[in-house]
Amino acid sequence: MTLFVESKKLKRTGFIAAFLGGGILASLIPILNMAVRSENFIGLSERPLKILLDANWQMMAMLNVLLVVIGACIMYHTEYADNAMQKMRTLSMKESTMFFGKFILLVGMSSIVIALEAAAILFCTVHWFSADTDFFIELLKNYGYMLLLIIPSAAFSLVIASACKNMWVSLGVGVVCIFIATMIPNKNFILSLFPFAMPFQILSESAVKYCIAACIEIITAGAAELVYLKGRRAFE
Amino acid sequence: MNIIETHKLTKIYTDFTAVSDVSLHIPKGTVYGFLGPNGAGKSTTMKMFLGLTKPTSGSFTIDGKKYPENRVQILKEIGSFIEAPAFYGNLSGEENLEIIRKILGLPKSSVSEALEIVGLTQFKGRLAKKYSLGMKQRLGLASALIGRPPILILDEPTNGLDPVGIHEIRTLIRSLPEKFDCTVLVSSHLLSEIELMADYIGILNHGHQLFEGTIDDLKDNAAAQGYPTDNLEDTFLALIDADNKRQGVVR
Repeated sequence: MTLFVESKKLKRTGFIAAFLGGGILASLIPILNMAVRSENFIGLSERPLKILLDANWQMMAMLNVLLVVIGACIMYHTEYADNAMQKMRTLSMKESTMFFGKFILLVGMSSIVIALEAAAILFCTVHWFSADTDFFIELLKNYGYMLLLIIPSAAFSLVIASACKNMWVSLGVGVVCIFIATMIPNKNFILSLFPFAMPFQILSESAVKYCIAACIEIITAGAAELVYLKGRRAFE
Repeated sequence: MNIIETHKLTKIYTDFTAVSDVSLHIPKGTVYGFLGPNGAGKSTTMKMFLGLTKPTSGSFTIDGKKYPENRVQILKEIGSFIEAPAFYGNLSGEENLEIIRKILGLPKSSVSEALEIVGLTQFKGRLAKKYSLGMKQRLGLASALIGRPPILILDEPTNGLDPVGIHEIRTLIRSLPEKFDCTVLVSSHLLSEIELMADYIGILNHGHQLFEGTIDDLKDNAAAQGYPTDNLEDTFLALIDADNKRQGVVR
């Protein structure tokens, strides 16, 4: 029911169009890169998936995080723009239910975007390299890993958006977080745990550590929202 | 039997006291007019009833349920409309009510019924952001009335309506206790308006409760204190003016 209500609220907001458009744009990155300069990659000795992700993932991940930030802003903008949030808060529902409904929707849309990107990677591999059975397993593993690592940024984007009545503030904070994330060196484990930097990671030996960190960050974001919702009433 | 009771309800913000030691007694099945000039604390009191703001001190019970322990149970019984209309501008009037219906778990027919009551059926498909102020006000009322809640809290519901609309909404509010077996708490800064709707009135000024009772009680009270009673508007103004002088407030 919550998911139905939350998805209804997004009608005519451009939310789905933004995600589909962004997903297609991100998917075009590896295809265009290969179409324009395939000779730089075809001769490399590494596995096709690693070649493609090394060459394109940073740009694709940046678009993904930007989409997540924009999505969170759109979701809460509909609540605050015409004061609908006040009405929702006077109904017999828990405010946290609304947050978690939006969170599931945002993660769902992110999974579609990453699926589009995985399809583009598959197309590039089939077209310019060769795909064996191992490739599909690797692609699936990477898909799951990338999806898990984008969830903390989705959760924190929603926490920020829920706290800011003015959409431009939450968008600004989100964009600053993305800029900070792009400046963080990927190899530094501690710094790369910044929620908005996590989606830039590619499946590696430290994958388990990143997965654990992502789960902790998701729980932290959820707890932060619950504390915020409790505290807000006291200060209003 | 009182369906809403407050005991020394107080709300203090950092730099001013919005509501001070207010004790209201709202009988079940009546229209209770909440009266006071702008900034008297009417909306703040109503917001406290709805859990939108936390009381600094004091307590209240709604239908025997205590806040904050039973916040969700209290909200289940209240339909509300606070300050300005609140809606999703990207959705039509009907879609807005559909969302509330889903959350409250009401039957599908409740949406068309609420639209019919406030006279918005003809415009149900129009986007709420394209509604006129009066239509937005009606949508807000429909969202309060949907599902026929036993308690209605309406904050200045006739704001922005034309004279015909004001008359319609007044008549509607007046008829609600009988029609839907509910209790209505309605605020206004106009005594003339409250006089036409309410069985009981409560008067607030600068957060202080000046009076609670029936219109007749108010007249008797005012006469006893030497205030004019021929015209209720003058009575109200005299009461407010005397309280302002007592508190040393310059308007």
